[in-house]
Amino acid sequence: MPDTHSTETVSNIGEVEFGSELPSFAPDTSTDNTKRFGKYVGWDSPRFTDHEGARKEGLPGAIVPGVLSQGFLGAMIHRWAPDAEIIAIDTVFRAPVLADVPHTITGTVTDIDEDEGTVEIDITITNEAGENRVFGTATAKLPT
Amino acid sequence: MSCGVRDIRKPEHPTSKTTTKAEEAMAEAEKVDEDIQDLRDRFLNSEFDEVTFEIDGERVAQYALACGETSPKFTDPGHEDFQAPPTFVSTLVGRRNMPSDFPELGGMGMDAGKGVEWKAPVRAGETLTGRSHLHDIYTKTGRSGRMVFLVTRMELFDSSGTHVANADTRTVIREKIRA
Repeated sequence: MPDTHSTETVSNIGEVEFGSELPSFAPDTSTDNTKRFGKYVGWDSPRFTDHEGARKEGLPGAIVPGVLSQGFLGAMIHRWAPDAEIIAIDTVFRAPVLADVPHTITGTVTDIDEDEGTVEIDITITNEAGENRVFGTATAKLPT
Repeated sequence: MSCGVRDIRKPEHPTSKTTTKAEEAMAEAEKVDEDIQDLRDRFLNSEFDEVTFEIDGERVAQYALACGETSPKFTDPGHEDFQAPPTFVSTLVGRRNMPSDFPELGGMGMDAGKGVEWKAPVRAGETLTGRSHLHDIYTKTGRSGRMVFLVTRMELFDSSGTHVANADTRTVIREKIRA
């Protein structure tokens, strides 16, 4: 699956502007990746690794584990701000992220606290139809 | 807590029972169903599980790679500052997600979300202790009926007793419509 991450990064909070968008990121939703995740981390049920097995459970196909989707959001923040410390992240699973289907993650800076050195970010995983599948909010601390 | 909206036509008086529409709306939103309040009184903040986790560097690195992390701080166990990405703690699962005596609510539970509060790095080779309690119980009502949300919080401590993270799991139970 193509990795379309941008090389735009920020190194400190002074470089962050309110309302700015993080470089979009195409997460690896392939079943190869969910199998690796299942092998080393967990969540190796067929519903996550095998389309046919997932369909037998009544799903439209294999789905990405929620904990992996949450990890995608964290990776996106680190790609944008490599020195950021994510001090809080809350993720809402609105609908399944189907495996082997391209998705895009977008993020927007919604608040900046220069005194604390923190930024608030809204992050969304959408499918090709533009439907929101996962929504997250994060607080990250950046160097001042 | 003030909502910042006040009907200035009505005089304020400490003993007055008069409330604004905004205050009434807030009170309605904050009203807790009796059965939910009972569950909150019985179960919130009581520890029901304790489990230990050995943090394996290879598992951490593979997690980071699968998520799309690129920094060797997260992907290379040989890096001098190697540590787990903050969201890694969501993969640490206790022996149970609910107190053993928690009642059946009559619907199927689904994973509605995960939350993490990061406090300190989680390092490979460390042994973490996770202690779980029900952190919140609340409801939302939609067209298909009432949904009950249960937030289970696992507090994680390293071997020195340092509180390194909280990992929340939000489970939603869509109640069956009673005939």
